[in-house]
Amino acid sequence: MSQALPRAATPSFSQRLLRVYDSVGFLPVVLVALVVVLALFVPRFLSLQNVLNVLRSSSYLVIISAGQMMVLIVGGFDLSVGAVVPLASVVSALTMVWANGVAPGQTAVVVLLGVLAGLLSGLAVGLVNGLSVAFLRVSPFIVTLGSMSIATGVALLLTNGIPVYGMPKAYVDGFGRGLWLRLPPAVYLAALIVALVWFMQNFTKMGRYLYAIGGNFHAATVSGVRTKTYLVLAYAACSLLAAVSGLGLTAQIGSGQAVISAQLTLESIAAAVIAGVSLKGGVGRVEMVTLAAFFLLILTNAMDLLRVDPRIQTIFLGLIVVFAVALEEIARRRTSVD
Amino acid sequence: MTFADPAVAGASRAAQAARDKGPLLELAGVSKRFPGVVALDHVDFDLRHGEAHVLFGENGAGKSTLINIISGTYPPDEGAFTYQGEAVGRLTPHAARLLGISPVFQEFSLAPELTVEQNLFLGRELTRGGVLDRSGMKAKAKAVIDLLGFDLEPDRKVRELSRAHQQMVEIAKAFLADVKLLILDEPTASLTEAEAEKLFSLVDKVKASGVGVIYVSHRMREIKQIADRITVLRDGRKITTVNAADVSEGDLVELMTGRKIEVLFPHIEAHPGEKLLEVEGLTLANRTVCDVSFHARAGEITGVAGLVGCGKSELVRAVYGLEQVEAGAVRVNGAVVTQPTPSGLLKRGLCYFPSDRVAEGLALGRPVRENASMAALDLPAFARGGVLRRASERQAIQSIANRLKLRPPHIERAVANFSGGNRQKVLLARGLTRDINVYLFDEPTVGIDVGAKTEVYALMKELVATGAAIVLVSSELPEVLHLSHRVYVMHRSRMVAELTGAEINEQAVLSRFFREDAAEPSPRGAPER
Amino acid sequence: MTDAALASDAAQRRGLLDWLLVFSLPLLMIVMELSVYAFAPRVLSLRNVVNVLDQSSYIFVFACAQMMVILTRGFDLSLGAAVSTVSVASALAMTGLAKTGSPDAVVVAAGLATGLGVGALVGLFNGGFVSWLAINPFVVTLGSLNICLGLSTTISGGSPVFNVPDVFSRLFYNGVLIPGVSIPITIAIVIAVALYFLLNYTIFGRSLYIIGANPRAARVAGLPSRRYLFLAYLTCSLLAAFGGLMLTARTGSGEPNLGGSLMLESIAAAVIGGVSLQGGVGGVGAVVFGALFVTMLSNSMDLLEVGGYIQQILLGCVLILAIFLDRLRRTRT
Repeated sequence: MSQALPRAATPSFSQRLLRVYDSVGFLPVVLVALVVVLALFVPRFLSLQNVLNVLRSSSYLVIISAGQMMVLIVGGFDLSVGAVVPLASVVSALTMVWANGVAPGQTAVVVLLGVLAGLLSGLAVGLVNGLSVAFLRVSPFIVTLGSMSIATGVALLLTNGIPVYGMPKAYVDGFGRGLWLRLPPAVYLAALIVALVWFMQNFTKMGRYLYAIGGNFHAATVSGVRTKTYLVLAYAACSLLAAVSGLGLTAQIGSGQAVISAQLTLESIAAAVIAGVSLKGGVGRVEMVTLAAFFLLILTNAMDLLRVDPRIQTIFLGLIVVFAVALEEIARRRTSVD
Repeated sequence: MTFADPAVAGASRAAQAARDKGPLLELAGVSKRFPGVVALDHVDFDLRHGEAHVLFGENGAGKSTLINIISGTYPPDEGAFTYQGEAVGRLTPHAARLLGISPVFQEFSLAPELTVEQNLFLGRELTRGGVLDRSGMKAKAKAVIDLLGFDLEPDRKVRELSRAHQQMVEIAKAFLADVKLLILDEPTASLTEAEAEKLFSLVDKVKASGVGVIYVSHRMREIKQIADRITVLRDGRKITTVNAADVSEGDLVELMTGRKIEVLFPHIEAHPGEKLLEVEGLTLANRTVCDVSFHARAGEITGVAGLVGCGKSELVRAVYGLEQVEAGAVRVNGAVVTQPTPSGLLKRGLCYFPSDRVAEGLALGRPVRENASMAALDLPAFARGGVLRRASERQAIQSIANRLKLRPPHIERAVANFSGGNRQKVLLARGLTRDINVYLFDEPTVGIDVGAKTEVYALMKELVATGAAIVLVSSELPEVLHLSHRVYVMHRSRMVAELTGAEINEQAVLSRFFREDAAEPSPRGAPER
Repeated sequence: MTDAALASDAAQRRGLLDWLLVFSLPLLMIVMELSVYAFAPRVLSLRNVVNVLDQSSYIFVFACAQMMVILTRGFDLSLGAAVSTVSVASALAMTGLAKTGSPDAVVVAAGLATGLGVGALVGLFNGGFVSWLAINPFVVTLGSLNICLGLSTTISGGSPVFNVPDVFSRLFYNGVLIPGVSIPITIAIVIAVALYFLLNYTIFGRSLYIIGANPRAARVAGLPSRRYLFLAYLTCSLLAAFGGLMLTARTGSGEPNLGGSLMLESIAAAVIGGVSLQGGVGGVGAVVFGALFVTMLSNSMDLLEVGGYIQQILLGCVLILAIFLDRLRRTRT
């Protein structure tokens, strides 16, 4: 018996269709369907003001979710993103106020310092998370729970719970609330970040290594991948992106807030899960996460337009997350050999 | 039966020539300790250019540790490590690969969600200006796969491949780099005869170009075919290094075990009674088992032989309720089982011992007592009204532990502290905690030392003598052949033969595989366990 | 090496370092109290000690709740939020009935029923999704956290529900059952004994440990793991609900934010005490120590007049330290 086994025939059309479905799921279809339904039945959904709002909010969520996705891919979890946002907000606002006092009128410098400070604070949290997970080898769930508590505490401590006013007008009006080429700047920022992450995932070593670390940690180690380094990078990137988002939100709100959007963490996880990012790690694509973030925000927007109480929306969000994961699990069971 | 084979002699001549070049690898006085275990004790080992050097020994002898040290997984605690004439300092897996040391381990190091090509290059991607050189890698991947003659699709995700194909990816990984030292750890475990032959010819080819090959195996036939020299390890110590031509199979077994094992397998008398387990037309949802029928009778051992991945494991797992059944009927002790579940089958008197005792059988952190009694907590002897009867539990388990010669017989110790053989005894103890008359053994002697193996076989003999039916599923052909009274042969998810009496021999079983392979193309790439 | 030699060698090495790790917590507690004594001698006064014991009873109950699910390799992130919902719902029920002039017994019963009912619902939700659908408990309880948050603010309208009947507070807070021992401590002791029995002497308890140690093995051995996993989450939420009722009795009102940082504190207490996040390790004793430690810490911080925000930061740090200790402990065994 010395013949080689015959090579597989090229996949049939239906097999290829199935492969496409496998990789993108039903999300794009559902998203389009949702938009169509809402456009038809909800007044003001397609109004310019509303569309801009949705785009702006989605952008912030996209940025945070992209970061959460990276951490999920390496098999971790980041509960602290929801706390990094207010932390960056507060730190950047305070820095800008201080800088304005020191160098009044120098808007560019003031903004730059503030932005840098905000980003650094996010990076600090990310490093704590990443170093703990990579070197202390402790559960990311608890580490990020701890750092969430620390970040929230620091934000509250710095401001005593009072919003920080006094950021340069140019920053708030130009970047936070303005329009560049008819679109909110946040959209360009999100697009840039998504492009960068997409490039990283498909064209760099880091992209592959993140999948490998999450998919089979042992394989990654033995193949010589510097797992510790990439773990730290993933968590640092996640918190950094959360900080970016926080800076954007701060600009839009116009003041540094120690309490912003408490459910951002849940939303970022929801977006990731709906996008097919597996909680076990090793899987996840930023394009899908972007779509999922849009989906979530359009849904929220619809509820707002229909005057659904935000507290009830919270309930819905919780239900959606759980059911999304449930569906994913059921689908997974159907296709795999356990 | 010696290894003085003309082909082998020819290889020895080539090795002699390579010998003059100085050893490729030299380990002197290497020791390695883990918490509570001395894995290697002042071991010397050398590998010449162009030789195939077999590492031979029982599980736990130190083979894995040795090849892990050579491939840089961890450093030795003491001893000298010389490679290509130069001393080696701290070695990492990555650095080892750069030096040309390519290991192929039993446990695959593959990222399931990445494609074959991405896995091949994991850790050593080709880049152009910081960006992945995708076309370059694609070309090289294709080249390596063609060289090896494997049928692998570079764009398939590894998790969609069968175990055999995953092993091919592992082997391809080793050949991708500039190999100088190839380590193969039980590489033929899931390969067909044809694929194994291809591998052997590859090994010959690389030997001819001066590559040193360390081959870990305990299959005599392979060793006979491949080895130039054989190093025997036992309990972390090197016993001897011999030329393959100068030693016999019996010698090797004696060296490996340290004792003359006249009869490894006890003679077990069969007193076949009624059919205690009947399976008809069983088909699983994932098609790893297709339309299989078999039966097991009281007082005899029914073997199921087959290559890794043929579905024999899934077969007994399905009977026990661990796999999704699509069609077929199962009857235990005469009664039809409609929805098999582990607890249901235990109550009917059927017990299954999983092949992977660490993953599925034992809770390592819990004491022996809890592990052994786990399957019997619904019995009045162990609990009443949901409340445990700890004193009676302790007594029962202690007496079973003594019967099975658990070493040390401390049932309050966590199972993690016991050796493989004793862990297996804890698992088997479960079958003695309740009224069981059908036992399904799935690869029962994997990873346990010869002494424990003998005790497991003795237990089987006892159970059969009391009228139980034993189904023995094993990839170890000698084990199945010597112990079973009837042997079923499975190949690629189907039952291809039922052998009894004189029909039970290696030739008969192997020929069944050839016949089937020649008759129909395999369902390639079907996902397997 | 023979098996016996291996085992004794391992045992010896383990003894020395383990001894240190096992006693690290009590040692730490002593060190902490002594250092605080230097600055605030009140800390060792009888009154303060009794106060700490009282306080720790509450966190003990919540930490026990978490323990039930941590043993199975899960956690309950919804604990704090569920407590808030329990508080608000039971307060509403009680104040509502009290206004209609119902007898005390009915009012209290209604409060209990509502509170435990909410707990049961949360437990059913969590347990159902985690055990039957095998969904990551993190996601499930994150979801139920938000659901409970939404519920508690919705049904309370965002503000506290005042005037919880005195009889309720007397029963669960400041009444007298055993002279000299406050009710919270009594309840804590009863729960401790009951859980100890449950965990060590019932099939349910035994199964929790096995499920945590190796869920697949539990399944292969025929243990009804899904049922017991479900029950673990149900028990957790019921215990938390009970703790919520105790807290409500103390504050005398239904607070929509009663849960606050409870989730973090309960996990911290359990893990610090020795309940391992890897599952299958830990017991009532561990929770006792953990609860005491966490309470002593916050008591010390209060006496040293450390601000609330800093305490929150400290709690986060302590949590991270706790899991580091936990990891050390695990690698040693």
